[in-house]
Amino acid sequence: MVDTLTLWVVIVVVGVLNYLSRLSFVAFFANRQMPPLLARSLRYVPAAMLTALVLPMIVTAPDGTDHFASPRVVAAVVAGIVGFRTRRTLPTLVAGMATLYAIQWLLR
Amino acid sequence: MRHIVSHSEFRLGFAEMLPACLGLVPFGLVTGVGAAAAGADFWGALGMSMIIFSGAAQILAAQLMAAHAPLAVVILTCFVAGLRFLMYSAAMAPYLRPLPPRWRNGLPFLLTDQAFAAAIRRFDATHHDPQAGAMHFLGGGLALWLCWQATNVCGFLAGNLIPASWSLDFAVPLCFVALVAPALVSWPTILAAVVAGALVLALAGMPMKLNLIVAGLAGIAAGTLADMAKERWSTR
Repeated sequence: MVDTLTLWVVIVVVGVLNYLSRLSFVAFFANRQMPPLLARSLRYVPAAMLTALVLPMIVTAPDGTDHFASPRVVAAVVAGIVGFRTRRTLPTLVAGMATLYAIQWLLR
Repeated sequence: MRHIVSHSEFRLGFAEMLPACLGLVPFGLVTGVGAAAAGADFWGALGMSMIIFSGAAQILAAQLMAAHAPLAVVILTCFVAGLRFLMYSAAMAPYLRPLPPRWRNGLPFLLTDQAFAAAIRRFDATHHDPQAGAMHFLGGGLALWLCWQATNVCGFLAGNLIPASWSLDFAVPLCFVALVAPALVSWPTILAAVVAGALVLALAGMPMKLNLIVAGLAGIAAGTLADMAKERWSTR
């Protein structure tokens, strides 16, 4: 599915870019303050990027159509509530998977 | 090497990170599953976890490559997701700057969400003794890195062994739900997530999987603007 050369180009380039991001203010901009607008917008990177990454995995079927009333959506909502409450990964994962299995079993 | 491993701050950093490592186990497993689901081979999956060393970037890369997005789009999207490291880098800079260049330039490779939180606490506790803090950071960072490799490999192997009917691939989005849900406590953050989520679906027809990056950037912009508006409103 993924060809080896492409994969390794991505590994090296993304690896280097991630490292440079981690190094940025330690090495290159050592004597500079982070611009306030940049500092402010970086706070919203995780919420925006992760939601954009996750929603299609939950909603979009392999044929490209979106389904908002599927077992996966219900399981993800349950997991979201548990995650919001507990702030922990494991209970969130267990709640989501258990809900998915329960619905699949009921709809059998 | 030996004097590092026997250093008390190194050992303390390593030991203190073990509970956080435990919390990272599900995420590492799921990242390995994601690599397997995208069709990466063993060495490719290991290369991702060893070199990229970031769950979000690894899963994004695997997803986009499986969807045959062009190389530039894969790289750009992963880069934007990794921009949060700038935030940690800026916060760590005052602590790492006094170190010799080799340490100063090497340690940020181990900078992750968990290592960042632990390091800030420790540098403050050691009264900003740069060497003790650096040893502590190295210990904790190494513990996380080793745990990440072990769990990624286990997840990759499990992802290839466990039948598709178990829906193990669904654990991947759930892990990110666990990361995002607790953050949805302020209006700007909620808006950032809603805008990004709505756009990624609405723009699903965009070529080259560009909808992901466009939706992500729009979400970041929406969150930032809402943050500024909120501040203006509350100072009035």
